[in-house]
Amino acid sequence: MTPAPLAQFRTLASSLVRRTLAVAILCALVAATIQAIVVVGDERAAFDRVLRNIADTHVPLLSVAVWDIEPEAIRRQLQRIAAEPEVAHVRLSERTGHVFEAGDARLRDAKDAKILQVPYPAGQPGTIGTLEVTANRDILFRHLAEKVLVVVLGYGLLSLVLCTLIAMVLRTELEMPLRHLARFTSELSPENLTRPLELSRPPRAWRDEIDLVAAGFRTLQDGIHTHVANLDGLVASRTAQLESALEEIRELTITDSLTGCFNRRHLDLKLAEEVLRGHRAGHPLCLFVCDLDHFKRINDTLGHLAGDEVLRGAAAVLRREVRERIDWVARFGGEEFVIVLPNTTLVDAMLIAERMRRAIEESVFEHGGRQIRVTASFGVAQCRVDDDGASLVARADAMLYRAKAAGRNRVVEAPAESFAA
Amino acid sequence: MKPFSRLLVLAICLLASSGGWAQAIVFIDPGKSDEVYWATAANAMKAAADELGMRLEVRYAERDHLRAIQYARDIAALPAAKRPDFVILSNDNGTGPEMLRVLDSAGVKTFFAFSSLPPESRTEMGGPRQKFKGWLGSLEPHAEDAGYLTAKSIIEQGRKAGARRADGKLHMVAIAGDRATPSSVRRNAGMEHAVIEAGDVVLDQVVYAGWTRDKAAEQAEWLFARHPDARLVWAGNDLMALGAMQAWEKRGGVPGRDAWFSGVNTSREAMDSGRLAALAGGHFITGAWAMVMLYDYAHGRDFADEGLELDRPMFTLFDPARARTYMSRFGKKFDRIDFRRYSKVLNPRLKRYDFDFGQLLQ
Repeated sequence: MTPAPLAQFRTLASSLVRRTLAVAILCALVAATIQAIVVVGDERAAFDRVLRNIADTHVPLLSVAVWDIEPEAIRRQLQRIAAEPEVAHVRLSERTGHVFEAGDARLRDAKDAKILQVPYPAGQPGTIGTLEVTANRDILFRHLAEKVLVVVLGYGLLSLVLCTLIAMVLRTELEMPLRHLARFTSELSPENLTRPLELSRPPRAWRDEIDLVAAGFRTLQDGIHTHVANLDGLVASRTAQLESALEEIRELTITDSLTGCFNRRHLDLKLAEEVLRGHRAGHPLCLFVCDLDHFKRINDTLGHLAGDEVLRGAAAVLRREVRERIDWVARFGGEEFVIVLPNTTLVDAMLIAERMRRAIEESVFEHGGRQIRVTASFGVAQCRVDDDGASLVARADAMLYRAKAAGRNRVVEAPAESFAA
Repeated sequence: MKPFSRLLVLAICLLASSGGWAQAIVFIDPGKSDEVYWATAANAMKAAADELGMRLEVRYAERDHLRAIQYARDIAALPAAKRPDFVILSNDNGTGPEMLRVLDSAGVKTFFAFSSLPPESRTEMGGPRQKFKGWLGSLEPHAEDAGYLTAKSIIEQGRKAGARRADGKLHMVAIAGDRATPSSVRRNAGMEHAVIEAGDVVLDQVVYAGWTRDKAAEQAEWLFARHPDARLVWAGNDLMALGAMQAWEKRGGVPGRDAWFSGVNTSREAMDSGRLAALAGGHFITGAWAMVMLYDYAHGRDFADEGLELDRPMFTLFDPARARTYMSRFGKKFDRIDFRRYSKVLNPRLKRYDFDFGQLLQ
């Protein structure tokens, strides 16, 4: 599914201005219509007023001028009447056939004209003439045009000012902050989430919707920031848990589960490293192989669980007797242990082996309310330059064999001179 | 004229002019320089001035009342040495009060001839030698006579010719001059007096043509259409009567046979036409008589004993014979009138001025 194409961008200000203009045009139309109606009414009233004025002032004067046969005065009067903007044409027909006209003769409209009778001045019966007054339609249209123009211009000006004001206010108060906000948002990324939102607005005594939006945005930012920070902590704690689990697993892979000593696989790896390191540093390295005496008998007589308990106890004694983090103990198999003593001379190793032997001999292990005593035999070998792990173990194992053969519960060391060579 | 009196005049003139000057007079003529009546009036004044040894300057206002007032201002603005001794004014179109004010405040002596200030202005202006000390007096022709004589004449002619209409009356229309000039108002009053006196005459309408021929012709045309019974046409002057006749002829009428026209003044055309049923005139001489009065005044013979404001009959009704006499005597010039005969200074036995025009035609 393709996303719908983005609609054309239009600023809020232009939308508002368009609507304002539409309303202004509507208002102008309504006002112009009202004005037009008023103007038409006004013009009718004005013409009626002019007719009344003519009847009240000009007709008596005309009456006298006609009676006195003052053509100039008659012409002046008619010109005065025709000078009224509402009058297009005026025509006086005297009783004996004299005709006077003023105004634009082309605009004369005998059918539509108003007829006023001019009486005799002295109150004699009858009329001395008739006055025909044609209204000026041009002035109606001119007034109409003027009024409508004023309305249109007025509204136009008002709309222009309003729209300019709206555009300006919207631009400074809304558009610019919103654009700023939009740009800020689009540039926001997990890395700069905490970058504060700074709207460049002049200081003011009140808050408006933009400030609310900005404040809301800051709240949202803080919320996201807190949430992300919490997520980091969670990941760290889970990672720690995982690492400790891994460590445990690793421990399990290198540790003998019964005694807590290194297992046979780890012994092979670690002993090879120790031998290499000893060779490189030129340090002495000694190795014991220790075997619990007559262990098969304990298993047979007291049970395997008791055997296990003895093995666990003996291993603990051995590990107690070596230097922590330097020397280490591995279970070689069955009731046999290997003790590795880096950077230790054979003399010192012998002392340590003897101390271990005695410690086991003096130890009492308990199982099922029973006290069990046990002894151990030790074969001791010092690493030679041509040794690897296996040959070193084999030589120590050979010494163990001699110790077993010599009556058990003792320590036998391989001769040291071969090391010196 | 007797050689003795001439010598006497010469002696007096020499005495009077011992200061080295003859009286200088300016006449602000309200009419146009080519207007027969006012030009004739000015000519008569010039003839009088020449005979009396005075200097006369005539300024025509050309029937522009603002110009008349401007002339008065111009004279008032002259340096004292160049100002005339007297200014003769005529209150035409109501210009009199303003001209009098202007000239009197400048200390120029004034005299109203032809038309003086009307009675209604007297509360404000006062009479001669009262509020305005330099206003010496006035001489007016008895204007009612002109209206009365001419109206009466055409009424009689109409009666004789049987111009009565269906209602048994004679119908008259009147074309007057204007409503402001006192002499115009008085001529109308004379005419109305004759109408009332007759009893069988209906005055259908009075209109005012402003003394002009064209407007009178236009108005007459209306009047004939409006008042079809009118057969008597009275006019305030000769020009308007000529205009009305023209309109009547245009309608196919014959003046003197089917309608009767009257006018005032003695223009050549009016005197010659023979179509006018009645014509009164001679009052143009008023200015010349005023010269005589001022001459006497300047020579120590004030006219105050006869009154400061003289209103004398001067009109005479011209029949064709009189018209002929007039034209032969005064058709061109007025030097055949011996104005000196009418001066009280030159004729000490004269007690009262006699200004009747008729005597000049005897």
